[in-house]
Amino acid sequence: MKLKILEFDKILSTNLKAKELAKKEISPWTVVLAKKQIAGYGRKGENWFSPLGGLYFSIILPKSKIEDLQTLTILAAFVIAKALKENFSLEPLIKLPNDVLLNGKKVAGILTENVIGCEVKLSIMGIGLNTNIEKFPKDLANIATSLKIELGKKVDNKKILSQIIEGLKEQLVTISQ
Amino acid sequence: MIKNQSMDFKLKIGNKEYDIKILEIGEEIKIKVGEKEFIFGKEAKEKASPLQMFLPKRDFTKKEIKASLAGIVSEIFVQKGNFLKKGQKIFIISAMKMENEVLSDFEGKIKEIFVKKEQKVKAGETLLILE
Repeated sequence: MKLKILEFDKILSTNLKAKELAKKEISPWTVVLAKKQIAGYGRKGENWFSPLGGLYFSIILPKSKIEDLQTLTILAAFVIAKALKENFSLEPLIKLPNDVLLNGKKVAGILTENVIGCEVKLSIMGIGLNTNIEKFPKDLANIATSLKIELGKKVDNKKILSQIIEGLKEQLVTISQ
Repeated sequence: MIKNQSMDFKLKIGNKEYDIKILEIGEEIKIKVGEKEFIFGKEAKEKASPLQMFLPKRDFTKKEIKASLAGIVSEIFVQKGNFLKKGQKIFIISAMKMENEVLSDFEGKIKEIFVKKEQKVKAGETLLILE
């Protein structure tokens, strides 16, 4: 199935953009993709290093029960880990709640955000996956890694993106049944 | 069909043991794990949901903002005395691996804020009240 992807060369944060778009009746599963983020963030507003080469995207989630979105967030780490294992024979470790590690270093992070008024207004899921990042600054070099560093070769960002989205769609169908 | 059939067993995961009871009642299957009860029938029901959601009914006579889910107040964007617009971002409640922006359903001047940053809140707890 064809994915609806809105691609940006650079953006403050894909989660911010997705929240802005989700307020405007945009179809669920639309993906906001950025080549780089200027102010990418993770949980508790912590900075997410987002230079060119990495895979940064946010998904506008369909209106679902908040319990299902919670389960989906946890399953997202498994979907990412599965993609890394099957494509590259890597041995990812899932650090709950929402990080994926390779050789003890962070390779991916997930942040689901809901906006709630008198009802759940919108839900989005942001994923940062360190794919083709050549190297990390000193303060991150010991705690973060990329697929490029681990494999010594470039990977196909778009292919991984569609595998993750398809995986998440399947999971949400299963859990909401 | 055999009705009300039940099965008890213990399941050990890691070092923890769980008491499991499976009951078949008519067309429904009830699985009890410790105190939690899961019912599978035509419609899957879960009695003790891991995330309790509370969506307050609109009551315009009482201008209160309540927590719609349990979690930790990780950000407070307003102060006592501020004038709140409808749809304005008031809190972030971090819960269950998600960050939840809480918007105001009302407008008015904030009379009192009952929570502090990093405070745990229950679903349904009053977070602030307007004049």
